[in-house]
Amino acid sequence: MNKTYLGEFEELMLTMVGILKEEAYGNAIVKEVQDQLDRSLNLSAVHVTLYRLEDKGLVKSFMGGATQERGGRRKRYFELTSAGISVLQSLQEQRLKLWKMLPELKMAGI
Amino acid sequence: MKDVRPPQRITRFLENICPEYLFEGIIGDLEEQFYDDLETLGEKKAKRRYWWNTLRFVRPEILLRNNSNFSIINTIMISNYIKTAGRNMAKRKMFSFINAFGLSIGIAFCILIFLYIKDEKSFDKFHANSHKIYRVEEKAYDFWDPEPDKPYNYSAYIQTGLGPVLKEEVPQVQFATRFNGGGNAIVANGEKVFTEQLAYIDPDFFKMFSFETLAGNVDQFLSEKYQVVLTPKIAEKYFDSQDVLGKTLKIDIQGENEFAVVGIITSPPANSSLQFDMLVSQTVRPYYDKNVESWQNFNTPTFIQLVDNADVVAVNESLAKIVDKYMGDVLARNVKEYSIPEGIKPFEYQLTGFQDIHLDTQITWTKSSDPKYAMILGGIAFLILLIACINYISLSLTASAARQTEVGVRKSVGAQRGQLINQFAFESVILAFLSMVIGIILMFIFLPAFNEFTNKELSFDAITIMQVFGIGIGLAVVVGLISGFYPAFYLSAAKPSQVLKGGFTTKMKAGFTKPLVVLQFALSAFLIISSVIMYQQMEYVTTKDLGYDQEQVVVVPTQMGWNEESNKAVERMRTRLAQESFVSGVAGTSLSFNQGYSRYGYEIDNEYRSAYVFAVDPQYIEVLDIEMAEGRNFLTDGVNDSTDIIVNEALVADMGWENPLEEHLNWREDSASLGSKIVGVVKDYHFLSLERTIEPMFLSMDKEQVGYLQQMLIKIKPGELPNAVDKLQAVWNELSPDKPFDYTFMDEDIARQYASYERWMSIMGLATLFAILISCLGLFGLAGINAINRTKEMGIRKVFGAEVMNIFVLLNRQYIWLAMIAFVIASPLSWYAMNMWLEDFEYGIEISWPIFAISMGLGLLIALVTVSYHAVKSAYLSPAETLKYE
Repeated sequence: MNKTYLGEFEELMLTMVGILKEEAYGNAIVKEVQDQLDRSLNLSAVHVTLYRLEDKGLVKSFMGGATQERGGRRKRYFELTSAGISVLQSLQEQRLKLWKMLPELKMAGI
Repeated sequence: MKDVRPPQRITRFLENICPEYLFEGIIGDLEEQFYDDLETLGEKKAKRRYWWNTLRFVRPEILLRNNSNFSIINTIMISNYIKTAGRNMAKRKMFSFINAFGLSIGIAFCILIFLYIKDEKSFDKFHANSHKIYRVEEKAYDFWDPEPDKPYNYSAYIQTGLGPVLKEEVPQVQFATRFNGGGNAIVANGEKVFTEQLAYIDPDFFKMFSFETLAGNVDQFLSEKYQVVLTPKIAEKYFDSQDVLGKTLKIDIQGENEFAVVGIITSPPANSSLQFDMLVSQTVRPYYDKNVESWQNFNTPTFIQLVDNADVVAVNESLAKIVDKYMGDVLARNVKEYSIPEGIKPFEYQLTGFQDIHLDTQITWTKSSDPKYAMILGGIAFLILLIACINYISLSLTASAARQTEVGVRKSVGAQRGQLINQFAFESVILAFLSMVIGIILMFIFLPAFNEFTNKELSFDAITIMQVFGIGIGLAVVVGLISGFYPAFYLSAAKPSQVLKGGFTTKMKAGFTKPLVVLQFALSAFLIISSVIMYQQMEYVTTKDLGYDQEQVVVVPTQMGWNEESNKAVERMRTRLAQESFVSGVAGTSLSFNQGYSRYGYEIDNEYRSAYVFAVDPQYIEVLDIEMAEGRNFLTDGVNDSTDIIVNEALVADMGWENPLEEHLNWREDSASLGSKIVGVVKDYHFLSLERTIEPMFLSMDKEQVGYLQQMLIKIKPGELPNAVDKLQAVWNELSPDKPFDYTFMDEDIARQYASYERWMSIMGLATLFAILISCLGLFGLAGINAINRTKEMGIRKVFGAEVMNIFVLLNRQYIWLAMIAFVIASPLSWYAMNMWLEDFEYGIEISWPIFAISMGLGLLIALVTVSYHAVKSAYLSPAETLKYE
């Protein structure tokens, strides 16, 4: 299997989809990132990136049920595919592996 | 607060550009954000943010997801299409050639027609002021002979005095110039003596028209009487240089005068309605002083330039006042005398925009032309292009069998129908582009001939070349798409399962191509019949017995002016040439054939009549071999004959005379005498062109009342013609060394009357030739495919004992049928069209069945020869060859 490389923003989106689980849709991600990381995102960037991840087969999307609060529009929910989960896992492993190779920083950190 | 809704306009905008399947999720999120913002930031800010956030969705990642609408042509396959197209053309070289060549000719023709129409439209547009310039014209009620359907006469020739009056009395007229072109005069500089055409104008001419001044002070041009402005060509002719300011030319306009050359001006371009070589002042025109006073002589074309934003209605009112002021009395008298019905204006001036005079059909002018000619030419070009397109369609269809397999394979590996349609359309556009290149080359080859046919000087500048290429490319795309359209749909419809199974017979489907061939042949047949009729008519016109003998006659103007000297010059020439053995006779006349005519109107017994009049001498009837019906010729020494006349039979009939020789014709309305005595009657002869009937005419020797002998008609003895002109020139130089020797041949003068018809016949002939050529190419291709399709059938037939002749007939029969059907369709159409054309001639041929039979025979023969190649080839093919692979 080819290795999938992700940009920083794509990685963030992928992680957020994982974090939010059943509640992962565009605006929820924007709010969550705002709350957790104090970083303000543009909705269009979020959407576009999610579609791209979908093209890469890392997430899949489906339409939710009708809602009351947003003009009756349905939400497009995203969830991780198994490929998406394995990419997240391998990213984590790579990160840890590299992290261990940074002894000075570790010392300084302690 | 709950009632506030997000701005709908931007929502709709997003809906338009966003792929449908994404839209709901996106707009839902946006609205959710909006309602959140509404609570925290307030309405105004929330709306602004909504706008902005929505707008941020306009980005390629979203737009390009509309992929179904975007990449129309599958770019990946294009290189493959080109390759396939190339291979196909190479594989079927002959058909590709037939297709490309046919289209090329069509395109070449279309571009030529475009150039023609462009040239027609460009007439007189190059003057900076041309939109402000008008030609003044008369619209006069025909007192003498009002025809019920068109009782008015229109003419560009108006009174000489009107030009100055207009400039003086009509405030909106800024400039006015008169323009009498084509006045012959003898011009001399030392030894160089030639007859030139002068144009008599006013100084305003130079302010109105944008002919470039090359030398001299334009403000002073023609400010004095004896000045002349030349074109460079004339300056070179007389002075061998263009540095001619201050030099003089001797010009003989009713007496010789020295004219100072004051300027040089560019020659008018071919698309100018005003043509001239030398410009002189109106004031030196013959009888100018007399003409300028008279409001009864109409002989001067006049142009005016109005001030900016002039009110044309007001100008017309002023013109009406001028009519009242200068012509009111005469007109009132005429209205009474001829009892003109109430409510008819006997005389009016009207204005025609200068740019419109070239295509004006009401009043003819030098070089003016009828827009219908451009339409006919355009129609012919369209027909030829149509025939070429039909070729393409029918050949593509008939050759489609071979490509069915390709389509099958393409489809089974996943090509969609749309892609296949694209492919075939693409192929035909490529072919059309090839044709365009050949077509433009052909156009350059045809151009000189085309110029000659149409009497034009079409040429190229950068813009025209760009336009030509633009049109070429446009035609190529349109023709490629149109003619590729049907084959593309037809071919792409093949079902792979059927095609690839192998059960598919490779026989052509003639069902659809047959009507195309019939249509194509009908178009060609139409052109063939029309050409044959035109040819016969021209043959008839040029060989018809005109009632006199126009062969071997040289026409030489006396160059002596309108006076007694001219008659003496004829007499001198006759005496001198009597010693020469190559001349059989010399006659004099006021006007030779195709030089114009004089026509007098007169009132006899309260009836208005008119007759054409020619001044002649007693030798006239002899030299031209005109037959006398009754009476005698003029007497050679007949002094008394000056008041006698010889009339033609048409005049006798018009007057209703029983014994014309006992009658008098009081054509001068002389109350003191009976009028001219009739001494002879000539049989009717065509003194005008065959476009007209023979009308009443008489010959006279009355110098004062009818005219002087301005033209010598010199009859050359048979066999002496080759050197006759040189010998005549020698004699001329002996008799009048200071005058130029001009000559024409009478038979050529007469033929020139029909020059425009002759030209049209040439164009029709050329078009017919091309149409036949293209149709034959198409037919040839079709017959070839048919022969190949039926090779095995023919083989089997031969095995069973069919003769070569049987097979020949079998293969050709259907084409003969098609050609005959085509002729049946084309005959009535061409009969109708040609009848309209023949209406121009008073003496036309009858369109009768032999013409159609001849044309049909011709067409059938051509068709037969075309298809026979294949028929003969397959008829002689040995069955062993054709059947051995079965």
